[in-house]
Amino acid sequence: MGRPYAASADGTRVNGETKIGAAVHDFFHTFFDWSEIAGALPSLLGEGLRNTLLIAVLAIIFGLVCGMLLAVLLLSRRRLVRLPARIYVDVFRGLPAIVTVSLIGLGLPAAGIRPFGRSPLGYAVVAVGLISAAYCAEIFRAGIQAVPAGQMQAGRSLGMSYLKTMRLVIVPQGVRNVLPALTGQFIVDVKESSLVYLLGLSVGQRELYFIAQERQAASYNASALVAAGLCYLVITIPLTYFVNWLDRRMREGRPARAGAEEPLPEPALAEG
Amino acid sequence: MPTTPPPARPAPPGSAISVRDLRKSYGRNEVLRGVTFDVAPSEVLCVLGPSGSGKSTMLKCLNLLETPTAGSVVVGGVTLTDPGVDIDAARTRIGMVFQHFNLFGHLSALDNVTLALRHVKKVSKAEAEEIGHSQLKRLGLGHVARHRPANLSGGQQQRVAIARSLAMRPEVMLFDEATSALDPELVKEVLAVMRELAGSGMTMVVVTHEIGFAREAADRVIFMDEGLIAEDGDARELLDHPPGTRFREFLAQVL
Ligand SMILES: Nc1ncnc2c1ncn2[C@@H]1O[C@H](COP(=O)(O)OP(=O)(O)OP(=O)(O)O)[C@@H](O)[C@H]1O
Ligand SMILES: [Mg+2]
Repeated sequence: MGRPYAASADGTRVNGETKIGAAVHDFFHTFFDWSEIAGALPSLLGEGLRNTLLIAVLAIIFGLVCGMLLAVLLLSRRRLVRLPARIYVDVFRGLPAIVTVSLIGLGLPAAGIRPFGRSPLGYAVVAVGLISAAYCAEIFRAGIQAVPAGQMQAGRSLGMSYLKTMRLVIVPQGVRNVLPALTGQFIVDVKESSLVYLLGLSVGQRELYFIAQERQAASYNASALVAAGLCYLVITIPLTYFVNWLDRRMREGRPARAGAEEPLPEPALAEG
Repeated sequence: MPTTPPPARPAPPGSAISVRDLRKSYGRNEVLRGVTFDVAPSEVLCVLGPSGSGKSTMLKCLNLLETPTAGSVVVGGVTLTDPGVDIDAARTRIGMVFQHFNLFGHLSALDNVTLALRHVKKVSKAEAEEIGHSQLKRLGLGHVARHRPANLSGGQQQRVAIARSLAMRPEVMLFDEATSALDPELVKEVLAVMRELAGSGMTMVVVTHEIGFAREAADRVIFMDEGLIAEDGDARELLDHPPGTRFREFLAQVL
């Protein structure tokens, strides 16, 4: 006790390179053992990646659709419309994801509510999607509120209803405002898909983390976890670049900008 | 200094716009304190007045973008202030042009013009684009139909906004300081369009600080001061022989 580092420092000095060499070897063996990784890869890439993507993509879609509806409710002028949406957002943003996933994935089936039968994947999609919806709602709300008020006035002055103006004018511009912010949420959804491990998965249902964690428990070697981590990065990093690309494209619109610099023509009406 | 609003006289038959004792308050701040006037078909009415006198608020009450606190607004025979009125239908007959254009930023000039045609008037895409193109051409914008607003000059943007309103074939056009946000060299092209529109017989209510435009293109001028109409009369007469001291001071400032 007291000087936990001193002993090893002394030991290192005494035994010299062999001790360092052993530690480095242990480290690499634990995290980067090639045979472990090679053994894990087939099920990670075959089964795991597919199920992770399945949960994440469905949860993201669920979150986007429900989040947009919630955002419109949050922006309502009527308190009674705003209030339930507000409560929903506060609750689902405030709960730890692990609690929400357990409540839905373990609680609902226990209560006899089994819309997805015995497959945990459906419950995971709903749980991660519900959480995502709460965050997406706040992101969309901020984006929509950043659209200048004049856009709504212009839409209404042309005879479009409030909802029509929202749908055709405000929301499309609001979404453009928040694409980069949504990327962060998509990444969170991908990562939270791993919480499905709580629900217990049988072969065929396993996602990246579950497979890696099973192998780690069996071999006491973390290399499969490293491989799973790399698989997550293979999803999340390109996702960021894809959304950034989408963002740029939307901002610039179609490439017809050449005429912007053309001299102004005389207004035809002036001649009449 | 005006003290009492003009007494509510009956609207002349066939008025395009008829406003009676219009009032608007924001909380305790009474911005419009009883405004009454009529606009005849094809008449061009210019609204002058110092900043904060309630011109924009009054104009927005004419298509109910602002809900009046009291009073009545009748446009084209429809009483907009009636509770059961279909306000969206009524607004298709009232064009409005804003100081900051308010073009839909995510749409091309053409799509700005066709959006309401397609989604309110339910005109087919092909027909809407035909109307849109001819409307843009008419305002000298044929070559920028595919451009986004951000890639247009201020003058071009305001003309697209006018085209967007005109495409709905309104009976009445409202302009709220349509040239105030423009660089001086771009004001001309927009005023030219408005002058032409006035000449074509459009009924117009134009809030402006352009006294020159009021003198040339307006039939009538009203001068608003502190939420009331302080002067109301023939454009030339009023501008050449300004009656009240407040109006004279105002003209001295803007000229
Ligand atoms: N939405 C609002 N909420 C509260 N007060 C408002 C609102 N809109 C306008 N006002 C107030 O009403 C008064 C009249 O405003 P309005 O915009 O109609 O004036 P204006 O004559 O158009 O002035 P300007 O020439 O500067 O455009 C101002 O004192 C303004 O502060
Ligand atoms: Mg104003």
